[in-house]
Amino acid sequence: MRYLEDMILKLGSVDRRYIFLLIGLAVLIPLLRPIDLPIRTTPTTEKVYNAIAEIPANSKVLMSFDYGPSTKPEIHPMTLGVMRQLLREDHQIYITCLWPDGLYMALDALEEINQEFELVEYEDYVLLGFRPGNEAIVKGLASDLRKVYTVDYKQTMLADIPMMDGINNLKDFQFIFTGSAGYPGTFEWVQYGGDPTGVPLSSGTTSIQVNEVMPYVQSGQVRGILAGMPGAAEYEKLIGTPGIAIQGMAAQSFAHLVIVLFIVLGNLAYFITERRERKY
Amino acid sequence: MFLKRYIPIGIVAFFGSLTLFGWFIDNESVEAFVNDDATQWYDIIASFAIFLGALNLLKLQFLKVLKRQSGWQYSVVAIASFFFAFTIGFFMKGAFFVGEEVYFTQGAAEQAILASGSAETVKAVEWGAHISTEGGLFKWMFDNIFTPLSATMFALLAFYVASASYRAFRARNFEATLLLLAGIIIMLGRVPVGSLITPWMVMYLLVFVGTIFMANYFKDRKIIFGSFVIGLLGVTALGISMDWNPTEPAIFFLPSLQEWIYTVPNLAGARAIMIGIGLGIIVTSLRYIFGLEKSYIGDQ
Repeated sequence: MRYLEDMILKLGSVDRRYIFLLIGLAVLIPLLRPIDLPIRTTPTTEKVYNAIAEIPANSKVLMSFDYGPSTKPEIHPMTLGVMRQLLREDHQIYITCLWPDGLYMALDALEEINQEFELVEYEDYVLLGFRPGNEAIVKGLASDLRKVYTVDYKQTMLADIPMMDGINNLKDFQFIFTGSAGYPGTFEWVQYGGDPTGVPLSSGTTSIQVNEVMPYVQSGQVRGILAGMPGAAEYEKLIGTPGIAIQGMAAQSFAHLVIVLFIVLGNLAYFITERRERKY
Repeated sequence: MFLKRYIPIGIVAFFGSLTLFGWFIDNESVEAFVNDDATQWYDIIASFAIFLGALNLLKLQFLKVLKRQSGWQYSVVAIASFFFAFTIGFFMKGAFFVGEEVYFTQGAAEQAILASGSAETVKAVEWGAHISTEGGLFKWMFDNIFTPLSATMFALLAFYVASASYRAFRARNFEATLLLLAGIIIMLGRVPVGSLITPWMVMYLLVFVGTIFMANYFKDRKIIFGSFVIGLLGVTALGISMDWNPTEPAIFFLPSLQEWIYTVPNLAGARAIMIGIGLGIIVTSLRYIFGLEKSYIGDQ
């Protein structure tokens, strides 16, 4: 027993470099040798899927890319999945970005989706691009889109884009989806976009944001939420197109397992130390 | 004094009141101001703030280099990066096309035409569109410098979280233990591996952990061993009676448990925080409107 306790104590004070190494391996190995794990869909993800499925065919949907490269692994699979579901129903997609990096994320997503759907610019989608101003931009879009955007990201006048005919503010869209990694993002879309106009809104966020957005989901102000990479994986399962999020689930699972293992070891070591100190 | 104090306070009070009461006044001009003009003003003022921010950044970094303060080398990198991004954003756009080929400068593109003797002409993208055009210098910088650096910084979090939780996540008292358990349940319940851990495995684990806790309070080994065996038999009997259902009883199934934590206790806490923030914003806004909050003009 004493030997076991000593071993736990040793493990409990292991150098942080070994932890880094184990985490690295736990992430790397499943990425290099993919392992299939069962994906179980949650009600919040199903809500997003159902909300998008209920949009009448050939509708106009606004997607906002409010994230950058740092959170791309979590949010990008969501926006790709949502675009796939929308395009299968022949919806038209209008893209805005509250983050400067969002423009590049949108371009990247369009390039990837283009290989599958052979998109036609200004018929299937319009990329309006980035405008600085955070919540003021959302408020402006709700009031008069053409005051916020006069040209798209290619500097083409909106008046010259046929797909923009009849689009004057957020009320002209049937649905809003935001891929959001922080501020500005889901909160701003709820407070200044979805709520004042009554346009249904869904969101995909990083795992860390989920608890903050959940009150909006339960009150119905946000129609479901794609919560972090697991949410993206669930969504990929629902639309029947496995992608990078499902592939990444094994890596995330093993990384979480390693962290939990170290927490347990650390606590066992803590209890043993406490008990020994009490004895002497 | 009057110019520095009362005029700014007056402007804030007037526009603050107008924006607030604009929501409740059925007047077209007031509504237009609140919905359109005020937001446009915000954008314009925010644009000027970017200039101020950039100048401030340069001033601080230059001072650090000139005074050779600790880490001044990083400031050199910051200054160089600033001017690099500034130059390729405003002066060198790149993306000069000759057919399908793309060149960073007009000269290189023209030389390529001369060398090949083709009848092609140089096509340049418009200013503004250059930042998102493949072959543009800004896009090149974003893809090859900003993206990898940004992704690397965020990826490092996984390592720091692992190390920090290992060192700091200790069951020191009841509250810390609750936090620890909730953290473990969320971490395992959110990922697919959590659904592979059946409620029965959790229940066996609880019997094991419960016995360890009992050992602290009871010295009689027979009682401890007896409780352990009863616990094991109880879980096994329940398992057989429920046909070892992999998702029931849900209270011990990690994905269901994490869902409950997210939607019940977490939601209650999040709502309380949101209501608190909302009230705080109302109070602070009223303090600005009534001129009680003067930190923005340098008062304490």
